[in-house]
Amino acid sequence: MSENLEQSFVQQLRQNQNIIHKICRLYTSDEDAHKDLFQEITIQLWKAFPKFRGDAKFSTWAYRVALNTAITLYRKSTRSVSTVDYEKHSFFISQEEYNSEEEEQLKLMYKAVHQLNDIEKALIFMYLEDKDYTEIAETLGISEVNARVKMNRIKGKLKKILNP
Amino acid sequence: MEELDLLKKDWKKNENSFQQISEVDIYKMIHKKSSSIVKLILIISILEMVLWAGISMFYNSDDYLIKTHNEYLIDYFKYITIFNYVVVIAFILMFYKNYRAISTITSTKQLMKDILKTRKTVKWYVWYNLAMIAVSMVIGFVLVFSLDPRIHQLTSKHNALLIMIAFCTICIVVIVGVFWLFYRLLYGILLRKLYKNYNELKKIDL
Repeated sequence: MSENLEQSFVQQLRQNQNIIHKICRLYTSDEDAHKDLFQEITIQLWKAFPKFRGDAKFSTWAYRVALNTAITLYRKSTRSVSTVDYEKHSFFISQEEYNSEEEEQLKLMYKAVHQLNDIEKALIFMYLEDKDYTEIAETLGISEVNARVKMNRIKGKLKKILNP
Repeated sequence: MEELDLLKKDWKKNENSFQQISEVDIYKMIHKKSSSIVKLILIISILEMVLWAGISMFYNSDDYLIKTHNEYLIDYFKYITIFNYVVVIAFILMFYKNYRAISTITSTKQLMKDILKTRKTVKWYVWYNLAMIAVSMVIGFVLVFSLDPRIHQLTSKHNALLIMIAFCTICIVVIVGVFWLFYRLLYGILLRKLYKNYNELKKIDL
């Protein structure tokens, strides 16, 4: 592949890398797995890049490939995840700006989200990213109505995890 | 849901808190090999096809037929071999077509479907080979029983024929069973996550 293509890809990926980081944070539980998944997503994006036409935004296109990689292509390492790693990796609540009650709630919320299955995580991720239901449905390949129904069920599920 | 709003707020606020990866590192990454499930399935599938093609290539019944003075059967076996090659090539083309169709740009559900489709092609290929083995074993046994004078002599006594048939049946069942178990294990481990997520997606649209 031409050097220009490579350069353009690397530049755009560097600018949009937070999308991938966010997906990695949701789908992995420690630093090593985060790096691992980041690399696999980067490879898959690069492989798909020749088919990427400028008519869509790079970020929109990257969302789909990255999510698909996390849900479908990526093989989790079989290493068991220690809670210490998990807590260190997943939370970034800045102490000054939340009161302790909110902070506690956030911690529980992050923990609850991590307990969801891969598909539910994808829905929550797109919800947090302010994607509309049309895009959520298209990305996952389900109907819009059912995407809404599922989202409501996930909210219910999270509530249950938080208030058993 | 109040907590979810809180989460969203935190999510947005910390959007830029990740340790950034440099362009140099991204360059390095794109030159590394993928370790995705598709890659693994591709490698295993190619190995399977080579293995089965290899087995059928080295298997030659001509010598036996000449030795037992049944040369007229050689032609029949030649047709079977040609038929076999045509089927194998068809399978390989089908597999290649399915593999090329796998794209990370399609929807998650479609992507999963496409991956499972390549798997299915190889699965049918393996079953075809197992069936061929079973059939050729049966033909082989029948030929040996009816053509080989030494076996003829042996089986004319007592219940020897019955015992031989039972023995051959057990052989075939065991061989097919071992392969079946092997594939169940191999792909069970490999595709567990994929199947789980695929069923989860299918459930949403029920």
